[in-house]
Parts: sequence; C-alpha cells; structure tokens
Amino acid sequence: MRATTLVLKYLSRRKGRSVLSSIGLILAIGVIVATFTVARAMEIQIGDEIDKVGANIVVTPRTELIGVPYGNVVLGSTTIPESSIEKVYTIPNRGNLRALSPKLYGNIQYRNSTLLIVGIVPEKETQLKRWWNLAGSWPQNDTSQVVSGSTLASSLRLTVGSAVTIRNEVFTVVGILGETGSVDDYSLFLPLHTAQRLLNLFGKISVIDVGAICKDCPVELISQQIMDAVPNVKATPIRQAVEARVKAVEQMANFSLLLASIILVVGCAGIMNTMLGSVHERMREIGTLMSLGADNIHLWKMFVFQAVILGLVGGVIGILVGLVSAIVAGPLVIRATVSLAELVNINPYYLSIFPISIAASVLSCLVASVYPTWRASKIDPVLALRAV
Amino acid sequence: MIVTNEATKIYEIGGNAVFALNRVNLRIEGNDFVAIMGPSGSGKSTLLYTVGGLLTPTKGDVTVDGISIYDLSPNRRARFRRENVGFAFQTFELIPYLTALENVMIPMYLSGVSSQEQEERARQALNRVGLEGRALHRPTELSGGEQQRVAIARAIVNDCKILLADEPTGNLDRKTGEEIMELLCQLNGEEGLTVVLVTHDPAKATHANRVLQMIDGRIVEDRTIH
Repeated sequence: MRATTLVLKYLSRRKGRSVLSSIGLILAIGVIVATFTVARAMEIQIGDEIDKVGANIVVTPRTELIGVPYGNVVLGSTTIPESSIEKVYTIPNRGNLRALSPKLYGNIQYRNSTLLIVGIVPEKETQLKRWWNLAGSWPQNDTSQVVSGSTLASSLRLTVGSAVTIRNEVFTVVGILGETGSVDDYSLFLPLHTAQRLLNLFGKISVIDVGAICKDCPVELISQQIMDAVPNVKATPIRQAVEARVKAVEQMANFSLLLASIILVVGCAGIMNTMLGSVHERMREIGTLMSLGADNIHLWKMFVFQAVILGLVGGVIGILVGLVSAIVAGPLVIRATVSLAELVNINPYYLSIFPISIAASVLSCLVASVYPTWRASKIDPVLALRAV
Repeated sequence: MIVTNEATKIYEIGGNAVFALNRVNLRIEGNDFVAIMGPSGSGKSTLLYTVGGLLTPTKGDVTVDGISIYDLSPNRRARFRRENVGFAFQTFELIPYLTALENVMIPMYLSGVSSQEQEERARQALNRVGLEGRALHRPTELSGGEQQRVAIARAIVNDCKILLADEPTGNLDRKTGEEIMELLCQLNGEEGLTVVLVTHDPAKATHANRVLQMIDGRIVEDRTIH
C-alpha cells in the first residue's frame, strides 16, 4: 500500500466521473494542440506560397539611372559583377537564402524595333518562377538557344524551332513561355553567358533576384545584410501579401491561445470543484485516515498525486482531441490537409507542444488542488466521523 | 498508563456552553480493560477520542506514558496515534474500494513500512482476528462481524498499546457482538493491550475489569468488577 495505490484505486472506481470532471481541462488542451497544429500547417502552406511567389529581394546596382522598369523596381543602366553572387552567400542569414537568380538585361535593335533580351541561368530562374509554363524546353547554358515571351512570340510569329537572327547570329527558339501578365511576355530569354557575349558585357549582370525564406526574421534585415556584404549594390525588399498572411496566422494563433487560456481557467475551476467534491465525499475516509495516524503530509501527498493523475490523463486525452480536431477541421479552415508526419518532418520543434501541453495540464491540476487539499488537511476527524 | 487531568471539553451550542467533558480526572493502567457507559450525550465518546489524541480538550490535559499528547504538534500527535493507539468504530469505517487486506495495510503505509512487510503483517493480523480466508474481499462482500474484525485487525496491526473501541458491537447481532467482545478480551488478556470500550449494553460491559458510568460529562461511578 502506498499513496499511489490509494489514489489509483479511488480513481479507478470513479473513472467516468474523473474524465467528466476533466472536460474543461481536456477542451483547453485540445484547443491549444489544435491551434498550434493548424497554425504550423498554415505556416507550411504559406511557405509553399512564398515558393510560388518567387523573389522577395531584388539586388541591383547602387547607381540608379533611368533604365528599364521591371515590376516595382527601377533598374539602373549600369551592371554589377557576376562575382557578387558568391558575396551574397557570405551574409549572416545565408541559411535563409533559398535561390539566387542572376540576370542581365539589354536592349537590342531587331528589325525596326527594340528587343528586350534577358540573360538567365534557366535552372536558377525556374527555381524562383515556379508558375512559369513553358511550351518546349529551356535553353542549354552557353548555347544559341532562346525562349520567347508569349506576346513577343505572337508578334514575331515565333514557334518552337523558329530561327531568330540577332546581330548576325542565328538563335533557335526552343521554348515559348506561357502568358505571365508581366514584362516577361515581351522578353527574349537566352543563356546568361550568351547574353553577356551578345551585349559585350562579359562577367556582368544587371540584377540578382533573391528568394529568401524568412518567417521569423524581417526581409529588410536580409536586404541590409546583402548591402553590407556586396559593395555598390542596392537590395530592395519586395513586400508581399504573404507577409500579411503570416501575420494573420500569428494573430489567429494568439487569439486561439487566449481562448485556450480562458478555457484552461474554467477547466481549473472544474477540477477544483471535483477535488472539493472529492474531499467532501471522502470526509469519513479522511477522518478514518487521520484516526489511524495520517498527518498533513500524507493528505497532501494523496491529493497532489490525484491532481497529477487527473492532469496526465486530461492532458493525454486533450492532445488526442486536439490532434483529431486539427486533422478533421484543418482542411475546412486552411483548405489543406494537415499531415502530422509532414509537420514533424519540416518542423521537429512541433513535437514540443506535447510535453508543454502535458505540463500545462498537470500544473493546472496542481494549482486547482491546492485549496481542496488545504480544506482536507483542516478537517476535524471527530466531526468527519460524526463520532460525538 | 493514561491520565486525564481536569479534562474539559466545552461546545458552544446556540450561544450556550455545553460541557461534553467536565473536569474529568481519570487514570487507566496499562493492560486494563475499561468500559465507559452512560446515556447518549453523557460524554462517553468525547472522553474516548480525547484519550486517543483525536479531540483536543478545551481545558486540562491528557498524558499517555508521561507524554502530554496535546502539547505535541498536530503532525507529532498523528505519529503518536500511529504508534500507540488503535480505533474501532461502531460503523467500522473501512475504506470501501480497498480489500480487507489493503484496509489492514493502511496504518503500516502511514508508518512507512515496506509494501512486502505490510502484506505479511496484514495477513498475520487478519489471522489473529480469524479472517484468513477473507483477505481479498471488499467490505461490501463481508458481514458486519467480519467488517468489525477487519477494523480491529487494522487497529492492532501496528502493535499499538491502546485499543479504543466506540460501540464496536452497536451494529452487530447479539451472537456476533459476543464474538467481537471475546476477541477484545483475548487481545487484552493474551496480548496485553489496554482496551477502552464505550458501550450502551451492560452485558458487554461485564467483559471489562472496570466500568465507568458517565452523566453530563462527569464520571459518576467507577467500579472495578474483576
């Protein structure tokens, strides 16, 4: 016989009642786990969207002269050395850099008009622009293969296999880019080194598109680090709707945690009520134990252990409820499947929610048991036994 | 030896002071068997629990083997009860969700005895009260007499010196009540326990060596009969 045996035997006789009394606690832990799980799943989803959106920093020469407008950023007419790419990789937050795509822009006279040519490293560029649809293939590096933007292709009547002669050099169209609604539709893409040769700008590039994954650090910080590491460049962060969504998720998670805290307090009150009920119900038993020589330490041990057991069981059931809710309700909230395996795989810290939940649950029960146990220790054994 | 010195217990009821014990001076020698009789409300049980260290007197003191038990801290007094006193109640007060064996193990758990020794000694105590075959039964599966035997086994398992029995036969039929009285006599005679018995029944009191008669919180008669 030990304190644990006494408590376990008592609780095993009152299984249903104990679980019912822990409903508030179970709900609170469930909300915490479900919120945390859904929020992490949303972060992964947003991370995927960042991948689709592409670059969020554009590195250009510092001297900004009137030049080619490209999206929100005005590009200077001067260039930066191609070696700047390696320097970007020396910044403190280099771990957040997902892809760097160097590009060289140039205008070339073609028949009666000006042609915008873009030298790219196809495998880098496509890493950032996953939404690009290409009919045909990408040009091989250092070849005379080109890809045409959709509007340009239709105005010049280019198809895959067409030949384009620029500065007396014959280029073969190997791919036509699907419509993007951007300046890309008017551009002719060719391998970077080919473009450098054509524009006579060996070892030069106009811009580096940087895709940085940074949920926890501001993109402005990475931009600053790039400017510190690479001389004579300007790194411009591009604000994206995705950042607003990250904030929205954070706000939702914070609100849910607030809600869970309130439920937790209510749950504590429930546990306290049950423990008080238990003290009242076991009045004669406590009186008997005192007559047999139980002191305050014995009573505290018993009730604290009871609180720990209720906390552990409530915590485990709460976690299961939370996980099931996240998996079932997650798709309705974020329109994406919540995969626990993926969550653990991408963010191993996710697992910390389980010990934290159990600790919160046990701690709540301990706090809730203080007053009832104090009451139990103050019981007059003779009155409890109704002996006189 | 138990000595009460001017032990007084006053309850405030409806603004009036009611003397449950009124300056009781009593001396009970070791190995004595004392029966306390008297009408309801005469202070029999109050005296029993005061002697057992469970009910603090309003005035006066109680010493057991020279120790003034109400000068001890509550936790020290709990320890004193564990080591020296066993209680048997009219309603047995067994813990319903434990078996007979587990009920008898409780005082030893409170004293910090190892689980293995607890079981060994609890089985021996159940043998002493003639319940060897009922160790694994819950209280609801036992008769009244058997439940009282379990309660007595629980009271004596820690080798206490004093057994305080509050109407232990009050809920039992005559024959079973007699068996319990014989058990108390045996514990007093053969094992040397000091037994203090509260009873309404003069027939049960005849088993004692000494009978105290109480009225209104006072001992009005003190007879040695054996």
